[in-house]
Amino acid sequence: MTAVPDVPDAPRVLDLKNLTRRYGSLTAVDDVSLQLAAGARHAVIGPNGAGKTTLLNLIAGTDRPDHGTIALGGADITRTATAKRSRLGIARSFQQPSVIGELSVLDNIVLAGWRHHPLRRGAWRRPSRYRQHEESAARHLEAVGLAGSARRPAADLSHGQRRMLDLAAALAGDPRLLLLDEPAAGLTDGDIGRLLSILGGLPESVAIILVEHHVEVVAELAETVTVLAAGKVLITGPTAEALAHPEVRDAYHATSGASRDAVEARG
Amino acid sequence: MNLLDAHLVPAVDGVAYGLLLFVVAAGLSLAFGTAGVLNLSHGMLYAIGAYTGAELSDGTWGGLAVGLAAGTAAAAAAGAGLSAATVPLARRGHLAQALLTFGLALIGGNLLIEFFGADELPVRVPEALDSSVTLLGHRYPAYRLCFILMAVLLAAFGTWVLTRTRVGAAVRASADDPQMLATTGHSPRAVHTGVLAAAGALAGAAGVLGAPIIGPGAGTADTVLMLSLVVVVLGGLRSLWMTFFAAIAVGEVQTLGVSLAPDWAPYLLFAAMAAVLILRSQFTEPATAGHGGGDAGSDPVEWLRRRLSASFKERGRGRGTAEADGAVRSSGRGGPLSRLPRGGPDDSTLASRGRQAAPLLILLVVLIALPALLDAYSLSLAGSALALGLLAVSVTILTGYAGLPTLGQTAPFAVGAYATANLADAGWTVGPVQIVVAAIAAALFSVVTGPAVIRARGTTVLMITLAIGELASAAINQMKSVTGGADGLVGFPPTQALWGGEGMIEEDQVYNYALVVAVVAVVATIAVLRSPAGKLLTGSRNAEARMRASGHPVGRYLFMAHIGAGALAGIGGSLMVTVQQYLSPADVGFEIAAFALLAAVIGGSTSVIGGLLGAGLIVFTRDWVASSWPGHGPLLLGALFVAAVYLLPRGLAGLRLGTGARGPAKGAELPPGHDSVPAGKVAP
Repeated sequence: MTAVPDVPDAPRVLDLKNLTRRYGSLTAVDDVSLQLAAGARHAVIGPNGAGKTTLLNLIAGTDRPDHGTIALGGADITRTATAKRSRLGIARSFQQPSVIGELSVLDNIVLAGWRHHPLRRGAWRRPSRYRQHEESAARHLEAVGLAGSARRPAADLSHGQRRMLDLAAALAGDPRLLLLDEPAAGLTDGDIGRLLSILGGLPESVAIILVEHHVEVVAELAETVTVLAAGKVLITGPTAEALAHPEVRDAYHATSGASRDAVEARG
Repeated sequence: MNLLDAHLVPAVDGVAYGLLLFVVAAGLSLAFGTAGVLNLSHGMLYAIGAYTGAELSDGTWGGLAVGLAAGTAAAAAAGAGLSAATVPLARRGHLAQALLTFGLALIGGNLLIEFFGADELPVRVPEALDSSVTLLGHRYPAYRLCFILMAVLLAAFGTWVLTRTRVGAAVRASADDPQMLATTGHSPRAVHTGVLAAAGALAGAAGVLGAPIIGPGAGTADTVLMLSLVVVVLGGLRSLWMTFFAAIAVGEVQTLGVSLAPDWAPYLLFAAMAAVLILRSQFTEPATAGHGGGDAGSDPVEWLRRRLSASFKERGRGRGTAEADGAVRSSGRGGPLSRLPRGGPDDSTLASRGRQAAPLLILLVVLIALPALLDAYSLSLAGSALALGLLAVSVTILTGYAGLPTLGQTAPFAVGAYATANLADAGWTVGPVQIVVAAIAAALFSVVTGPAVIRARGTTVLMITLAIGELASAAINQMKSVTGGADGLVGFPPTQALWGGEGMIEEDQVYNYALVVAVVAVVATIAVLRSPAGKLLTGSRNAEARMRASGHPVGRYLFMAHIGAGALAGIGGSLMVTVQQYLSPADVGFEIAAFALLAAVIGGSTSVIGGLLGAGLIVFTRDWVASSWPGHGPLLLGALFVAAVYLLPRGLAGLRLGTGARGPAKGAELPPGHDSVPAGKVAP
């Protein structure tokens, strides 16, 4: 079950033990255990309804497990509120990009980084501090290629730009654990390339959990993979090994074929 | 045995009352639960049935049958009409529909009084039932026993239709997934109309049969609406049985409770409602998942511990902060920010600031000039409009910025008003002292009610705040030593503008004082809302899940906004007392709460100046226009309500911005961000 069997001594950033979440008679996440070392690049794949997003919600704190524990850097956070988890270093992107439409793109990132900024105190009433927040927000926007739209209302952005904004919002808190919920869904090939280079350029200490349907994104980014099916862990292991698992190959045969075509078309 | 003996009659009365409420509430629950319409005109549908029944009943069985048929049909037709009226608002969400039905209720109520008179109509029951039977040695009206039977039959029939027939299946399907229903060949529109018509029929039938219990009169619609809202809230939407037990419980509180503990009965209902709403945070509107992680600060000890550890960490981090400060500073000039493109609609250049401030300045000039233009009476009305305007701004903050549509801001408004009146009575007549004390008292009140309000979203907030407002009204009527009860307070000394001044008696003095206070309060409010704090609120409303995921304690922000809005309402209440020189419960009643919400809606829910203008328009309609057409105030206001909901999705401020360069901002409709993707939606 350990995602990083090679480095048992590496400091663990995340430790899930026997997580279970039920909705009525449906068990969305069933006895899932997972350990990640700092800097791990881990993907969670599986068919629709396998419990991938529920697992992310449990880690991020928007949902609570019925059983099991979650520990971040050794400290138990099973009952910790979402906002507090964010301040402890868990950041996430959303399946539906979540942006503040009425505010400018820049303000979106300022708000996202606010609670993590060393100068967060008093920024709500001191323009000079807010200005400094804007400086760091602008840097995050540049990183995702949205600097040109910084002053536009976020509601005006296209779907792909919203995804990038959502990603920038997640990165604005300088997390140590980044949860990505289908970051490539609905993106053009060009956008996916940009996404890969952004994620590839993250500091090595940042651990990533990636929920994704695009096999080539998983193959490119993830070192290890967990395959979920009906809430249960089917297999956890190195990416190549997991993707080669017969049941996974069956499930992804059509998809990977299609995406291989896409890769060839792009290349 | 003695206890039972003494209270048998009220206890059986309670069952009859409860069954009546059950039938009415089942209609309300049906409309809300399956058609998604929080029908605030449901009480009016009951009144339609009750009036029709009272008109047609002549003491014969035939009269009752004709009355039942006609009353049910009339109310069903009204329900169908309601369905047609809400169709254009389908994309605008629950709140817009609720507001529309409220406007229609005002209009309908006024028309009913127009046709049937303001007095309660006498109701004649069939002669065979117009007698009493002996019940365990007590004489009891036969009609009520018969009513219990009829209500049980009606309820059983309704349940049978809903759970055992194809029609019922279609209705239940439409609640779950209208599009799936459409693919099976049923028109969701037709089901929507049918559901509202059926809900109306239930209310109408209850009105005809229940007329001897809650008779047709001016206050009928309000009473029935309030009580059935309580039943629906207590019983939840999912189970008819829960609704049934809630209805019986409310009926018993209204009858047995009143006879056992007359002082406490009024509190009991709304306190129970508020308690249930707070405890059952999963009670949310249909088709909207609950907001995620609403447990911030649920455990006070844990909260305190976190606070302390956070402040210690903060101290330890002092040096690091200074370094980071320097680092950011040094990269200040020529940093990434300066490389960003300038201009654009959001840029706060001098010109755009001037454009934003212009309407406010024009309004200010007009307000300053008013004493020279108006007679004394109109000027004092203008003063009231300022007081109501502050209340409307307070509602705007909650509804528009915090996303908590409120019908309960009259409660802190009342706290400020009664605090000021009592201060004046005790000899504290210095204006600034009154204002500050009123603001603090109202803020403290909001601290107490805040936890109940900030955990819910959408129309649930409307119901919770309604309960808070009603609770406050009940308290005002009970605490006679402080509030003067229903008589109100009068004869306290006038306010002095400043220390050592004379009491203000002339209307223009009072008006100028009110204007100065209002301007200071509004400018302070705008300053806060324009600051990054306003952005925090906007973010919390627009993308709550994102804000939480980025570490923002959204609950705390909403709590602060609630307290601030409460203080502002308290200042408004204080001003109203100073302007009017008397205070009655009607000044802080449900009607005022609805007006304040209307003002905020007319004004555009995120525009402070719009709220002020809306309040002015309402006072103008209520007191100037209506005085030339007496008795039609509610009709005019209802029409204003309906027109505002249909024509001004973003309010007066929308008109102004609509011509500007911004273009239509997506998601700024009413209520902004409310019916978009539910925050923290759980996808299994």
